[in-house]
Amino acid sequence: MVDGELVAFVVLSAIEILAAIMVVTSRKLVHNVFWLAITLITIAGIYVLFRAELVGLIQIVVYAGAVPVLFLFGIMLTRRKIMEEPHESE
Amino acid sequence: MTGHLIDLYAWSYALANFVLWLTALPVQGIAAIANVATGSVPDPLTGTLVFLDSEPLTAFVAVIIEINIMLVWAAALNLFTLMWIERKLYSRLQDRRGIMIGLGSFDFLAATLGRIPLLGRPFRRPSHLGTGYLQNLADGIKLIQKEVITPARADKWMFHAAPVIIAVSTLMAFVALPWSEGMWIMGSYETRIVGGVSTPVPVNPWGILFILAVFSIAPLGILIAGWASNNKYTLIGGMRAAAQLMSYEIPLALCVIAVVVFSGTLDPFELVRRQSERPFTFGQWTIPWLPNWYVLNPLMWIAFIVFFISVIAESERIPFDIPEAEAELVEGWTTEYSGMRFGLVFAFKWLRALVGAGLISILFLGGWSGPTFVTLGAPNLADITATYSIPILPQEFWFVLRVYIIFVVFVWIGWSVPRIRIDQILNIGWKRLVPLSLLAILLGAGARAWLGGF
Repeated sequence: MVDGELVAFVVLSAIEILAAIMVVTSRKLVHNVFWLAITLITIAGIYVLFRAELVGLIQIVVYAGAVPVLFLFGIMLTRRKIMEEPHESE
Repeated sequence: MTGHLIDLYAWSYALANFVLWLTALPVQGIAAIANVATGSVPDPLTGTLVFLDSEPLTAFVAVIIEINIMLVWAAALNLFTLMWIERKLYSRLQDRRGIMIGLGSFDFLAATLGRIPLLGRPFRRPSHLGTGYLQNLADGIKLIQKEVITPARADKWMFHAAPVIIAVSTLMAFVALPWSEGMWIMGSYETRIVGGVSTPVPVNPWGILFILAVFSIAPLGILIAGWASNNKYTLIGGMRAAAQLMSYEIPLALCVIAVVVFSGTLDPFELVRRQSERPFTFGQWTIPWLPNWYVLNPLMWIAFIVFFISVIAESERIPFDIPEAEAELVEGWTTEYSGMRFGLVFAFKWLRALVGAGLISILFLGGWSGPTFVTLGAPNLADITATYSIPILPQEFWFVLRVYIIFVVFVWIGWSVPRIRIDQILNIGWKRLVPLSLLAILLGAGARAWLGGF
């Protein structure tokens, strides 16, 4: 007999650990922000699993609302190259 | 212009009512079957669940079936109907007839029907004289056939992830959006005393909050779509979309808070139950024949108007469609998508409008409450002595009717006013709607404190 909650917990935790590692190892700034969003949303899933629905939903509202702001700042306020330019030879 | 014997335009509008009715019918059919199969369970989805709930795997399969019924109903049928309403209505606002492909456009079908004696002479008519309901289906088939092109310098992985994020987060809202007392996925039954009889009533304590939560995921997907396409137009469109959606989520959430403070619950079922109570009360005045809809209450008018405008902006409809302004930004953040990827990000607008109209209906317009003039008796196979009553005007009908009327107002506003600039959009959002929604919270809290709540 497989416990459904255990399966959900293991899957969510695995995604979260993977995403957390990707946050710090990705080379592109926008990829970091995307993985950060995945991390925060899976944390919300784990909250819901712990029967804390309000905390989980507020987690999504607050952090999924804040991550695009971070995204915008990441694009606009850093000196990193944003868009891939065509090569000289083309 | 040559005249027609039958005014096809008037005919198609008479048919609109019939289509409304038809879209509510399949659900009632499923409800009847489920009830005959399981006995006394009063709704289609839970009926399926109880029927299959013998072990965990079949329960899981039953939940998947439930979600599929809901998605086919919400995302396919209602999406097609909304698109049809929009295209037909704005065509008439521009004094043309709009899309015309209907069942009669199929040549073989027209020929076959023509051979049936009672239908009279074979009607062979040109393919552009129908109701137009099948045009969107044809467009969908065309989009599925087209090649999915990935731009050469796009970030491939994120480019293909973005439509999935957008579509999934929008469809997730239908999990928590109930269509009637019986047609829902998220929620549970609770036994309450209603009129001296203990009956199970559906409850879902976090329904509205869940919808708001999944609404706030989509801007992330839009930004990713705009950035990953590696195109200046898509990047500008994505940034505009993110700025607009984020700034209009604040008045949206604040108006929901005003209603929540006013009514004291986040439960969509409870909100509709409160609003369907008959004597309309405002302080010491009561009007016996008026239902207790929040939109009729003067204290909620500001919240209603601000919420309505915010929903139009959240679904990127025309006065606020600067993120995809086709004249200046070449469809904005959806420029580089092709094939069904474009179909997904294109349908996103209508799905959000559908959820938004449902929210307006539940929060302000009494949800699915309405008269069920006649109920038909159906045999109950589990219990021979009992009968199951099927209302001839089901709750889904009243809900869908409200949603479509709200959507018609969206289209009407959208095709009557010009598009406004991005700085004007943000000015309206931050300088007008946010203070007004704070005022609405103040009014709701005041009503709660001094008039005792509603």
